[in-house]
Order: sequence, then C-alpha cells, then structure tokens
Amino acid sequence: MTKSDSGSRLRVSGRSDDRIAALFIAPGLFMILVFSYYPVVRSLIGAFTSWDGFNTPVFNGLANFWGLAHDTVFLHALWHVGLWVIIAVPLAIIPSFCVAELVFNLKNQGAQRAYRVAFVLPMVLPAVVPILIWEFGIYDPGGILDRILGVSTTWLLSTHTALWAMILMGFPWVSPFNFLIFLAGLQNVDPSLFDAAQIDGAALWQRVVHVDVRLVMGQVKLLIVLAVLGSAQNLLVPLLLTGGGPLNATMTPVLDMYQSAFVGDQYGYAMAISLVMFVFIMVLTLANMRFFNPPGTEG
Amino acid sequence: MRIRIRDVRSHIVLLVIAALVLYPMCYMLINALNSGVTTATNPWWFGSVMHWQNYRDAFAVVAPAFLRTVTIVVLSVAGTLVCASPAAYAFSRYRFRWRNVLFMVFFALLLIPGFVTLIPLVLEIRGLGLTNTMWGLVFPYIAGGQAFGVFILRTFYQQMSQDLIDAARIDGATDTQIFVAVAVPLAVPVMITVAILQFVGLWSDYVLPSLILSSSNPTVAMAITNFSPPMIAGDAANLSGLNMQFASFVLASIPIGVLFAFLMRYFVQGITSGAVKL
Repeated sequence: MTKSDSGSRLRVSGRSDDRIAALFIAPGLFMILVFSYYPVVRSLIGAFTSWDGFNTPVFNGLANFWGLAHDTVFLHALWHVGLWVIIAVPLAIIPSFCVAELVFNLKNQGAQRAYRVAFVLPMVLPAVVPILIWEFGIYDPGGILDRILGVSTTWLLSTHTALWAMILMGFPWVSPFNFLIFLAGLQNVDPSLFDAAQIDGAALWQRVVHVDVRLVMGQVKLLIVLAVLGSAQNLLVPLLLTGGGPLNATMTPVLDMYQSAFVGDQYGYAMAISLVMFVFIMVLTLANMRFFNPPGTEG
Repeated sequence: MRIRIRDVRSHIVLLVIAALVLYPMCYMLINALNSGVTTATNPWWFGSVMHWQNYRDAFAVVAPAFLRTVTIVVLSVAGTLVCASPAAYAFSRYRFRWRNVLFMVFFALLLIPGFVTLIPLVLEIRGLGLTNTMWGLVFPYIAGGQAFGVFILRTFYQQMSQDLIDAARIDGATDTQIFVAVAVPLAVPVMITVAILQFVGLWSDYVLPSLILSSSNPTVAMAITNFSPPMIAGDAANLSGLNMQFASFVLASIPIGVLFAFLMRYFVQGITSGAVKL
C-alpha cells in the first residue's frame, strides 16, 4: 500500500503518510475551496435565479437561458466573438512562426540574440498598456493610423470599423510568448534533420514547409488552444477600448456578462451568460484536443 | 567569406517587422517626453523641448499605487508558494488516501476560465467585508496560483533524487524537516520561475482589482488606465495629461523590465517547459 513509485522507501507504515500529506495539502486546498470552487458553485446555482446581488436570489428555472436565446445583444455578442476567434487563431500562429523561422535560420548567433530581445521586449508592458497606446496613439482621430492613411476616421466610434479595429489591433501580431515557444521548439529539433533536408537539396522554404512545420506541430496545437481560449474570453480589450459600443457593435459575451452584473445589477442573468460561455469554451477546447490528438494516436 | 544573400534578405524583413512590433513602445517613449501640443501636431518625433517633468508628475500620481501593488503582489506570490510547495511535495512523494482525487481537484482549476469565477468572487469578497482591502485581492490570487504552482513544483519534486531524502531520514529528520531543509532549498530555481510568471501576471491585472479596490486606492494597472493628471497651475496641465499618462506607462513597465533583465532565463524556462509538458 505504501510502495512508492519513485524508488526505494525506508518506511513501510501507512498511517503517517496520510496525516503528513493532509497537513501539507490543507493550506492550498483550503484556499482553492474557498476562493475558487465556492465561487464556481455559486455561479452555477446563480445562473438559475433572478438576483440583484443584494436581496435573496429567487429561483427562476430556465428563464435566464430563455431570455438569452432571445437577447439580440447577446446573440450579436456571440457572433462577434466567433469572428474574433476565427481571425485571432491564424494571427496568433502565422506571424510569430514566420519571425521565429527567420531568426532561427540566421547564421550569426549575436544577431539571433539581438532579434530575440527585440521581439520579446514588448512583454515588459503591463497588459493594459499596449491596448491604451493603440487607443490613444494609433486609433485616435488624428492618430498615427489616420496620418498614415491621410484620412480622419473615428475607428473605434463607428459601427462599421470598431469591431475590426478591435480584432486587428496589435499589427503585425508577433506575440512575444508565441515567438518564444516557436523558437524554443525549433531549437529543440535534432539538427541532423535539417542537415538531411539540405543534403536532399531542399530549398529553405521547402524545408520549412515540409519539415519544420511538422516538427513544431506540438507547439502549434498548444498555441491554437490558447488563442481560442484567450480570444473567446477576452474581456480587457473591449472593456478598455469601447465598452462594447458603439451601439453594441463590439459587445462580446464576457463583456455582456460583466455589464449585466456590475452595471445592470442582473447577477443571475450574468451568471447564466457565464455558464453558457463556460460550456461553449469547454466544448471548443475538447473539440480542439480531439481534432489535434485523435484517440489512439500519440499525444 | 561569401556574404549570404539569404541572411541579408532575412535581416531586411526582420528589421522592418521589429520596427513595426516596437513602434507602439517607441510612440510611448517619444510622447512621454512631449508636450500636449507636440503630440497633437507631430506625434512621430520629439519636440524641441524635452518635458522630463512629465515623469515627475506621473510618478507623483502613481507612487502610492506602486507601493500598494508591490505589497499585494509580493504577499500573493509568497502565499502561493507557501501553499503550493508543500502540496506539490505531498503529491509527488507521499502515498495517501484520495491522492488522485485531490490532485484532480487542484489540476481541474486549470480548465476553469477566469470569467466563471469573476462575479461570485467579487460578491464573496464583498460578503467577507474585504472590499477595498489588499486581502480582497491577495486571497483570490493565492487560490488562483495553486493549480499552476502545484503542477510545476510537483514535476520538480518527482524528479528529485530519493537518496537525499533517505539519507536525511536515516539521520533522524522528520518529514517536515526533510521538506524544509532538503526539498525546498533544491526547489528554489523552480520557485523563482513560478514566482516570476505570477508576478508578471498579477502586476498587470486590471479587471479584478478595479472591482475590489476603490479608484482612490488603485493598483498600478488601475492608476495608469484611469490616469488623473495632477492639477497644475495654468491650462498646460490639461494639455499634457495624456503625455503624463504615457510617462506613467513607462514607469509601470520598469519593474517587469528589471525582473526580465536579471531573470529572463527563468522566465523562458518556465513558459517553454510548461509548453512542452502540455
């Protein structure tokens, strides 16, 4: 019963392990039960109530979900986030991979290091900062984008452009995190594979397409899952940039949840949104894992 | 030596992309030193006068937030490690009842997106009377760090040599002594990795603090987002409020920059090892 899977154990009594393990696990377990699981349970229950966040919640069955199915703001928000996810995934993968390839194939080690620093540097900015620089500096009327295009547009205030401005923010979309993951992936590949491709007379681009892409498939899978999760639940960008406006043109489900609760005091409704989105995201994640790792194949 | 055409082409492409990637940062650095007038007329480059006082004024605004945020983040990171480290050790070294179930209880948190807990968490903090206190953030942050911390530290403790533990046990050390005196010191590099990743994430966090703390007691992310320029005699203050805000962005980036400059390899190790495992 007490046989350890990590080598020989000198002690063979079972009881004391139970007690010491309980002691070691208790603090962390207490914290997650109180500040992670309790909120989850409360949210699950709250989704089936009408609740202003102050008085006692009133059970109302599926009324919140029925309401959501007919709520045009929420349905538009779903469409917006669907579009966002579809565009965010290639933007998360392709630019970062291309830059990682270019840096990886440089002969000069010093230049490699210099570019690595340059592309990782934006990581020092707190998450709100790039969003605000784009808002105040680039998208602002009379900002950099207007000056380049020679126009005067309120990118974030027009229903035609606001959603696209939000989704395409961050040009040229080289993510420091994704870049590092790809670069580390390429550096971990056995160099003889590249030599073999070269001996076979493959041009660099042929090697990249036929060899490299396959070798970093593990990283691609991971980053796709993270991009889907990140863009499906992004709250910070619409909250700071537009607040969902103009006329809900940039509303996303998680922002709808946020505003239903903290602006509209409809906490039960907000929890119903969060439950629906939770289910969507779980299904999406499981589908992703299924799609990329069909059962029976090596992970 | 033959100059490689391919490398020259790569350099050109990379330099252009790097310039575009770094442009928002350059915009921030340039306009943090400009006056409001220069930003309105020529935001591309420095004006004729460098307004270093933007930094001074921005610092005056965000300094209290700096102190507050450092306290919150340090307490949260320390609390995360204090709770996660023994738990991870127990999961990797002990056999006990419900071990797998309990591990799943920790691990499953990685699958629960943050927005699911956001609303009830804010209500709970309110109910506990912790609104507008740093504990209202520290406790949720400690809980939020457990899944990742236990996951990374467990992997390390599993790979740790059993001989060291056996030797200490022969010398008569108790379980707690072995953990504190043998295991923890060896795990310090891994703990630094966990600490950095969490520090960077918490330093940036905006949504939860903005719901727990009042705007008169902001964290750095709150203070630089809802930046209120100080009142200075004359209307120049209003004109350069945005420039002071850019200066405050630079100030808010310094702690992470310093951390990266000294501990970049732990950070890279953390994200790449985590990525390979997943």
